[in-house]
Amino acid sequence: MRPLDGRKIVCCVGSGGVGKTTTAAALALGAAMEGKRALVLTIDPARRLANSLGLKALGNAETRIDLTARGEMWAMMLNLKRSWDELVRRNARSAEQAQAILDNKLYQTLSTAMAGSLEYIAMEKVLELYSSGRFDVVVLDTPPTSNALDFLHAPDRVLDVLDNNAMRIVLGPMLKAGKLGLRLLAAPSGLVLRTLARFTGSDFLRDLAEFMMAFEGMYEGFKERAANVKALLSSPQTGFVLVTSPNPLATQEALFFHRALERDGIRTAAVVVNRVQRDPRRHGGPDNLAALEEALQLAQIKDENRLSERLCETLTEQAILADLDRREVERLRDMLRGVPLFTVPRLRKDVHDLAGLWQIGEYLGGD
Amino acid sequence: MPAPVDRRLVVVTGKGGTGKSTISAAVALAAARRGKKVLVCEVVAKERVADLFGRPPSGTEIRQLLPNLYSVHVRPREAMREYALMILKYETLYRLAFENAAARYFLAAAPSLAEIVMLGKVFWHAARETERGRLRWDMVVLDAPATGHGLTFLSVPEVFLRLVSEGPLARDMRMMQALLADPERCSICIVTLPEEMPANEAIELDRALRERQFPAGPLFLNAVFESRFSPQEIAAVTRGGPLLTAAGEAADNHESRAALCRHYEGVLRDTVPRNLVKVPFLFERSFGAHAIEKVSHAIEGAL
Repeated sequence: MRPLDGRKIVCCVGSGGVGKTTTAAALALGAAMEGKRALVLTIDPARRLANSLGLKALGNAETRIDLTARGEMWAMMLNLKRSWDELVRRNARSAEQAQAILDNKLYQTLSTAMAGSLEYIAMEKVLELYSSGRFDVVVLDTPPTSNALDFLHAPDRVLDVLDNNAMRIVLGPMLKAGKLGLRLLAAPSGLVLRTLARFTGSDFLRDLAEFMMAFEGMYEGFKERAANVKALLSSPQTGFVLVTSPNPLATQEALFFHRALERDGIRTAAVVVNRVQRDPRRHGGPDNLAALEEALQLAQIKDENRLSERLCETLTEQAILADLDRREVERLRDMLRGVPLFTVPRLRKDVHDLAGLWQIGEYLGGD
Repeated sequence: MPAPVDRRLVVVTGKGGTGKSTISAAVALAAARRGKKVLVCEVVAKERVADLFGRPPSGTEIRQLLPNLYSVHVRPREAMREYALMILKYETLYRLAFENAAARYFLAAAPSLAEIVMLGKVFWHAARETERGRLRWDMVVLDAPATGHGLTFLSVPEVFLRLVSEGPLARDMRMMQALLADPERCSICIVTLPEEMPANEAIELDRALRERQFPAGPLFLNAVFESRFSPQEIAAVTRGGPLLTAAGEAADNHESRAALCRHYEGVLRDTVPRNLVKVPFLFERSFGAHAIEKVSHAIEGAL
């Protein structure tokens, strides 16, 4: 597959609803057909695509897709909560410590609701799967809501929150104060705490402090892991494929992502524009009312219920759509000079099976 | 129950890219045409509504876009600051408490604090009164963020109150929760497209919203292609020879999209117990005030 260009890890990024999952699955399928052991890691696939990939009954494990190929195709759906739990268990010094964290009522909110949490755990999973040596290519379908910054800065963000030092400064006195209450705390951290507590109440701060205490000693492990995740993001073996539709909102997001990658010194591997409307006028032929009336007459088709008018209107509308799409694709090509760009035409049906994925793969330069 | 147009807060939710801003603008325009004084609150990173009316961005100050129609961009940083100052009263105290590394840490860890203050700000607008004690706005339209499930934002009070039960934020969140749950004063609409993922998401969102007993507003099915040709016509034109190849392909494309629309409309009607409002696909070379005007007329009847 040309967008892969020999890379081992591919992250498909872009705004929601542009066909990211489909593109990711098509890339993995293409790699499998080329003889690679390929895995697609997806987050929130459309139901019918999930069904066709056999993902419905799956938990947090990879499953092999049944197909005739030189290589292998595997798929996996990421479960956010379970992945975090596993990560905590792996890094905890004891089963008790792991349990204390998993039981903390803040942990759930932090692991599932914190910005960048899903992006981080997805990359963490990619690292784990790739390091296992069981796959030649891992394709990641990123969360629908991610923006570029969430993705690139997820390791830092996660570390920032888990960093005990900042916490100790502000929450340490809180733990010592215990039931005596905040009023007895010394300035300046006491003042900061008292002020923050006016917003959230002191219970929340205490929960937070307890959570951080439970985390004691695990930070170093996390830090090392996050550094590996970060290194993986910028490794030459990793490629970012921008997926978009010709919708200006989507291309804007793709360009934004591209610039964010550039700022971090990462090159965009390829851009895939899905659902590009083809211009029916490329076939030539009449496109105005009088000429259409004549063409119908020649073909001996009765011009009933204003058929010629309806055809003319439809041609005009689709020409508008095709023009808009063409303009947007050109703009993208212009702004992403040097990045391979692939367009996939709008297909007559939704893609939800392997045959459909295969068809898409052809537009991505598969053989 | 009052019609959606007579409720104080109209929330527009749905998957990203389904046209939430367009529908928000159109709802606001339709209400403004009926003489309501309307404020559109945008809470996503990039403001869109003012631009749709061909106006410069409003920013964090309320700006008038049309007679009776105003918009404002609610941003987390400014909302946080305003909110903190409302409670703390002193700028120095604010700086001391919020502009340091420890607070940054705290803000990252506190559950959805950005969403909380933004929702708090929207609530403040919705509850704001004039000097004579009347409501400042007849309607506040909240263009909700494009979350994976669209629900996170609206569940913020609930999630927050589970963790925090005292303090001024908790008090405000309780009032916000009451407003969001009140069918007399609030309506929560869903925007979707006739495509698989947006339709599935709308179905899940609807179920989750009803489970939490949020007042169910209309389901807007956006960008609909209506059927225009019979199968016989398509067959005849497609066989009509090289002169009609382009017309045949266009007609066939149109009908295959119309068929998809019919399919998803059926699925949505079967599973989502809301008033389904179809918004036709607009073939516009540029999407502006003219397009919003058309959409607002298409949805008027449902309000």
